[in-house]
Parts: sequence; structure tokens; C-alpha cells
Amino acid sequence: MSGINVIEKERTLIVNPLKTCQPLGAMYAVMGVHHGLPMVHGSQGCSTFVRYNFARHFREPAEIAVSSLHEDAAVFGGRKNINAGIKNLALRFKPDLIGAITTCSSEIIGDDVFGFVDTTKKELKEMSQEVKGLDKIEVIPIPTPSFVGNHFTGYDIGVKSLVDALAEPGEPTEKVNLIPGMVNPGDIREIKHILALLGIEGLLLTDTSDPFDSPLRPSVTPTEPYFPKGGTSVDEIRDSANSQGTIALCKYAGSGANSLEKKYDVPAIIESPPIGLQNTDQFLRNLKKLTDCEIPDSILDERGMLVDLIADNAARYLFDRKVAIYGDPDMTTGMARFVGELGMEPTMVCTGANSKTFAPDMEKISKETGCDIDVLFEQDMRSFEVYVKENPVDLMIGPSDGRLLAQNLGIPLIRVGFPVYDRIGYHRHPIVGYNGAARLMELITNSVLEKYYEPSHWKLQQ
Amino acid sequence: MEPVIETFESRKKHMCVKGEGLSIPVCDKASMPGTVTQRTCVYGGARIVLMPITDSIHLVHGPIGCAACTWDIRGSKSSREDLYKKGCSTDLQEKDIIFGGEKKLFETVLELNRLFNPGAIFVYATCVAGVIGDDIKAVCKKAQKITGCRVIPVQSEGFQDHNKTKGHWIGGDALLDYVIGTREPEKTTPFDINIVGEFNVAGDLWGIKPLLEEMGVNIISTMSGDSHVEEIAQAHRAKLNIVQCQKSSNYVAQKMKKKYGMPFLKVNFFGLDQTVNSLREIADFFDDEEMIQCTEKIIEKGLDEVQDKIQDYKERLTGKKVALYVGGNKAWSLVRAFEELGMDVMMSGTKNGIREDYERIKETVRDGTIIVDDANSTELVRLLKKYQPDLLISGAKEKYISLKLGIPFCDFNHDRISAFAGFKGFVSFAKEVDASVSSPVFNLTSTSLYDISNNLNSEKNLKTEKSSDEALSPPSGGDKHES
Repeated sequence: MSGINVIEKERTLIVNPLKTCQPLGAMYAVMGVHHGLPMVHGSQGCSTFVRYNFARHFREPAEIAVSSLHEDAAVFGGRKNINAGIKNLALRFKPDLIGAITTCSSEIIGDDVFGFVDTTKKELKEMSQEVKGLDKIEVIPIPTPSFVGNHFTGYDIGVKSLVDALAEPGEPTEKVNLIPGMVNPGDIREIKHILALLGIEGLLLTDTSDPFDSPLRPSVTPTEPYFPKGGTSVDEIRDSANSQGTIALCKYAGSGANSLEKKYDVPAIIESPPIGLQNTDQFLRNLKKLTDCEIPDSILDERGMLVDLIADNAARYLFDRKVAIYGDPDMTTGMARFVGELGMEPTMVCTGANSKTFAPDMEKISKETGCDIDVLFEQDMRSFEVYVKENPVDLMIGPSDGRLLAQNLGIPLIRVGFPVYDRIGYHRHPIVGYNGAARLMELITNSVLEKYYEPSHWKLQQ
Repeated sequence: MEPVIETFESRKKHMCVKGEGLSIPVCDKASMPGTVTQRTCVYGGARIVLMPITDSIHLVHGPIGCAACTWDIRGSKSSREDLYKKGCSTDLQEKDIIFGGEKKLFETVLELNRLFNPGAIFVYATCVAGVIGDDIKAVCKKAQKITGCRVIPVQSEGFQDHNKTKGHWIGGDALLDYVIGTREPEKTTPFDINIVGEFNVAGDLWGIKPLLEEMGVNIISTMSGDSHVEEIAQAHRAKLNIVQCQKSSNYVAQKMKKKYGMPFLKVNFFGLDQTVNSLREIADFFDDEEMIQCTEKIIEKGLDEVQDKIQDYKERLTGKKVALYVGGNKAWSLVRAFEELGMDVMMSGTKNGIREDYERIKETVRDGTIIVDDANSTELVRLLKKYQPDLLISGAKEKYISLKLGIPFCDFNHDRISAFAGFKGFVSFAKEVDASVSSPVFNLTSTSLYDISNNLNSEKNLKTEKSSDEALSPPSGGDKHES
């Protein structure tokens, strides 16, 4: 009888973290808004290090402003900083939306960011008599103390804050809201591709695809100030109250969907991301449920090509191979189910997050795949390392932070998740949908071939 | 006088042109709130100074983000341990904020010591540790007593200052107060030195160390690239400090001069002339005939090996314009190196400069060079667009802004992968600069794209008779200017 064995951390400290702080996730959500800018209310490092992390993962600029809190603010409060900060940002960039994101320091000193934003908005209104358009800028407070939760919950709060502040009931539309999760531009584009084949108009909350993968066209791109193209417009977010439904493609960041359901009766479906075959099937079923759309042959063909690929190779090269997976809860649950579909064993799954549904999710996957799964819960890379050294696996799946361990132990690492900074192109390609699954299948199989098969063996050619 | 670029009133004086009256920009002021500043925090400053100590654990006392986002941020290489690459955090949670984090910190230190038996544990205070008032000094003292391991407090609350230079000093203070002078060397020579402000990014130290050793100099410690904490503990017995990154580390050298009477030389191993001068100055300092002769031979051999290898690069690079926008030291220390490749430094700036830094820049650059302080991302875009350099030298955050504008970029920060110091380093430097500037991709960006789009749309263009500028102006949002 298969089951899970939850291994909780025995240490208080964290060595090589598998999570980061809430503000990072909130910044990511805001950057998916068309002409949307995060305004971090904290120390300079709070924006700078996140910008650095985004830059090295996406290889794109990340415009994130900061209120530059200093010692006097810790004593007297940061009201002046955030007030001046929002006004300066408004004057300089004239963005459509500013997300006023709090950090640990601004939360601890007790800054009432909601109140400050109200005051600042009034001032922007007054200023708009001289500088046109300032009163049109949406300023949304996003409370994300970093001593609570992690980057995932920060993303959740970010999306929810945007929806709560902006969504407005009006004429019902045929659209479907989608909360993509902290995924890559390639994933969002794959979601759009699926919707296009189904003839469904999607409304992404929010759309980070173009902002984090924008073209180099000096004649067009360097608008001043620099705004990447794309993103979900403020009007679209307003309209999210009128959609046919919301699907959160991230089980751990679905409170925006719940909020829309509660306030505006927009049905919410909160599921694991469509990583792998069955999860993508489920995604399509959910879309059909909401919109009663036809599933066209083109999608069935894509599914068929994936099944073909798995049938061609999985039994021969992948069956029974042991895999250790680490990273964000949504990615790891999705990957565990997918490797199970390939006939591999997800023998261990490790996450830094502390979501209650993680263990039950793994339990389900364990039953489905017939594999015993060791679940490392609220853990770090150090725990992962200790485990893998004692319990050898054939393959590792997770972000770049496991690269040294993979190298030392000679275990192939499939780079998936955030951050991936030591390989190029990762963020441009999907891991979701049938196409994403096919690509993952190729990556996994080729790594296995490279590591475990002799190149001179003629049988490989079959 | 015409402003360098259009910007906020209060920012105008942060940019100037050498030779036009004001040759030193206003500097060392708090960044304007609401700008996309390229600066970081005091904690970041302290961490990058100390992190290259390879046998030590660097424990961040704060919420997870401070450690997670800076874990392994430095490209410092190690020939020995890799403990310094671990990202350690006390991961402060809500209850710790309310009840204080001292107990958790204490237990964390004990655990770390048990797990890794490190040379030292550096404990960094973050904003949160500061605001909740945790006494990290007391905890470190207690933990050191119990573990017998050096447990060193670094009082680096992020919001302490607008300038991360203060973080560098705080990192230096941690070494001065708790490490240097705590151990006697087993043997000393008349030619003992410390290399201060060399962090072995991409292996720079290894381009310098062999030259010095060949001269007959004995290196007691490096602060802090590729070092062990017990080596730094013996640093007080050196006869001389040589300071490579003067931005971060003049402070340490000056304090050691005061405390131990140890003289220091400012050296620079970026570029041939600078390398030669630095080697000669060190030899002159020791005033030893044998060393002086040996040094001349090293210089002759070093230059010989380099000259042929850089000819091709030099030909391609001569006359190209470079803009520097860096963390500190490099704003002046790289200028000559570029000039040796025939290039022209037309802008130099730093994110965290203090007056002393801008004096150095002013002394080094020629008339007409633009000098900028703490340029935020909008200003950087405007500077690059207006002055169109052939190359920007900066770090990862600026890289993609530059490339989006079609301006070649070369990393001279933590993410650099080639060592640039010394004679051999200069060849890598020339190669990498050439690879950036001469990359064929930049022939395919602006001009060619205009051509392509004009060719493809030629009929349409003729009909509408739009000027090419108008036709290609951004579709939306591009006309938003600051008022």
C-alpha cells in the first residue's frame, strides 16, 4: 500500500532557502499589469535584490521603485517617504497603476499604508490640475510583511489586492479569468494558445508574459520611461467581476478567485497548475465546465502527440527511475504527478512552503502512482541534500539552486521553477499544457540518455 | 549651464561635466523616494565585503528574503572551502517579531556550529533585527563562549544609511573589532603584506597573487577574497597593506594604520600601466634591491606576453566610447585600462559615491567626461540615449536596460565570469570588452531594423509620406514625459 511519509524540519535555522519573501511575489503580480509599477515601501535592498533576482532569471529589466526607508523613518514612520515616493513615481512614469507594497520594516514600524495611500491619492488629484492624468493613476496598497508566508503567498496577496481594489460589476462577458501563478512567460503564452484553440477569451490576473520577455527593438522598445509591452490593463482587471468564471492555475494562490466569487458571484475553480497530461486534461474540463466550449481536434491532436511521445520512450528509458523534486508547492505537486505519468517514481518531494493542502495533495499522487513518497515539508535545500545523499535518486527536478549538489553527486538536474539562472531559454518555454509536458518529457529523457546510456550502444538509435 | 539630461530639479546637480565649473556632482544624499534606484542597502554592503571569507558561515538574522535574495550573490571564487556559499537565515516569523528573536538566533548559531564546524559565524543584523531591538552582540558573545567558535556580530541594519558604503565600513569594523589581531603568525618575514579590498570575483586574486609571490612578498591575508578567518586574524603583523578596492576598503587600511601603525598603498591591478605601477610601488616600498630587480623582470615578462595577444582587440576597439556606471572603485580604476585599449571613457558614475570617490574620478577622467551620481533607471536610459556610448560597464540590474536600447554591455560586477586583474587578466578583459562591443548582433538592431521595416513597408511609407521617425515612434506610452 503506497503512502506518504511527511518529514518535518528538525532545525530552527534555514540553510539554503527554498522560498523567499512575500514582497517578491507581490512585485511579480504587479509587473503583470500594463504600465503597472511596484513601489516597495522599505529599504533599498528590498527592491534592489528582487530586481537582481528577476534580472538573472528572466534576463530582462525590472523597473521596481522603492521608498528608501532610512533610520529616521524607523523612528518617525515612513509616511513622508511613501507619499513622496508615489508622487515622484507618478510624475516620472505616469503609470496606469502603482502597487504600494509593504515590507517587514514598514509593517513593523506600523505604517498605515492604506491611510497613506488615500492621502496621496487626494494629493495626486490636486496635482492633476497642473499635470494632466495624475488623478487617473490607480494606487493599490498591498500588505506583504515578509515575516509571514513566502513569495507564493505574496503573489496571492498581490493578485487579490488588485482584484479587490479594481473589480467592478457591469455587463456580463464571455471571458474567463485566469490566475496563472508565479510561472514563466512561456507558460502564460501556452495558456493563451490553449484558449485561442478553444475560442475562449481569457483575462489574465496578471499577464507577465510580455513584460518579462520583451523584444529588443531599439526603434520601438525604449519608450521613455521604460515600460515593457503587454500586461493586463487596469480596465481588464476591472472587468474581471463580469467574467464567466475564474480558474486559478495555482492551488496555493487562489484567494483572488475566491474573492471574485464571494463578491460578484464569479464561479471560482482553484486547481493545481496544468503540468503534465492529467492536470492539463483537468484544465480543459474546467474550461468546458465554465464555458461549455467544444474541445477542437487541434487540441486532441496536441494531446495525442504528447501521448505518442510518452508511448515511444517512457517505458524504455524512464520506467521506475527515482526522481527527487524540490521547489514551490504548485510546481512540485504538478511535476510529481507528471513524472508518475511517465512511469517514474517521485520518491521525494521537498517544498519550503507551509501550505496545509500540500501533504494531502501528495497523498493523492502517491495513491495514483502507487509510489511511496517522502514529503519534506517547510524544508530547505540542506534537508534536501541530506536526504538525497542517504537515499539516492536517478534525477533531480527543481530550480538552479540545486546545481552544485547535482554536480557533486553526479545526478542530472532538470531545471524547473524559480530561479533558473544558469541555463538560458528556460523562461521562454512552457512547462504547462500538452506542449509543456512534451518539452519536459524531452528534457527529462535526454538527460537520462546522456547520463545513463552509452552513446556507442546501437540500440539507443531505435 | 545646460543640464546634462532632463530630470527632477533636485537631481540636476547630481550630474556634471568635468571642466564646466562644477566638476564634482552632489553626492552621498538619500535617494529620492519613488525612483528605481540602483542602490542597495547597508546589509548588502556589509555582506559583499565579508562573504568571500570561504571557511565561514554567513548567517542573516532576519526574515527569509534578506538571505534568500543574496545567497551566493557574489561571484567570488574559492580554492578551498565552499561554506561561504551557503544561504543561512534565522527566518524570523511573526511570533519572533513580537517576542524577540534572540533565543532563536542563539539556537541557530549553536546548530550551525554543530552542523558545519565553521572558521567563524558572521551574524548580520537586518532591518527587522534592528527595529525589534535584538541585541545580537550579546547573543554572539554568549554563543561564542559556549561553542568556542568565533561568532561575530555585524551591525548592518539595512535602513541605517542611504549609502551602502556604510555597510562596507560596518563589515570592516566586524573584522577590526573581532578578528584582526587575535592570533599571532607562526612565522613572519620582512616582506609580509595583506591584500585589502580584493574579493576574488571571478578569480581576480589569482591574477595578482602569483605576481606578488614571485616578487618575494609574503601574503599573510586577503580581505576577503579566498581567505580563511584565521589568516585575517594574523593580519596585524603585516608590514604593509595594499588596497585594491579603495571604495570598500580604504576604511580598513586607515584604521589599521591608526591602530597598528601599518602603512598602506593604494594599488590597482586593472590595466597594464596600473599593474606595472602597483608592482613597482610595492617593490619601492620594501626598498630591497633584489626585489626591485625581480619586479622589473616580472613586468617585462608580463607585458611581453600581453602585447601580441591584445593587438586585434585594440584595433577593433580604438575610438569606441565607454560609459561606466558601477558600484564604486571601478568608476576610476578602470579608466586607464580602457584608454589602453584605445577607448574613450565619456561617462563615469557610481551608485554609492562619496565626495572622495568623485575627487578620484575627476582626477582620472579627461575634460568633457560626464560624471553622474546615483542615477536611477530613468536617468540611465536618458543618459544612454543622449550620449549613445558604444559600451556600458555596469551590473546585472542595468544590463538588460542597456541591451534593450541596443547598447553593448559588459558586466563588471558580481556576475562577471572572467578574471580581469593583472597581466593575464588584461587579456581576458580586452577579449570580453571586444566580444561585447564587436558582437555582430548590434549591427542587426537599430539601423538594420529601420531598413528592414522600411523595405517591407516601402510602398505604404511612400503613400503615407510619414517621416521615418514618426512612422517608427512607439505606439503608445512613448510620449509620456516627465513634467
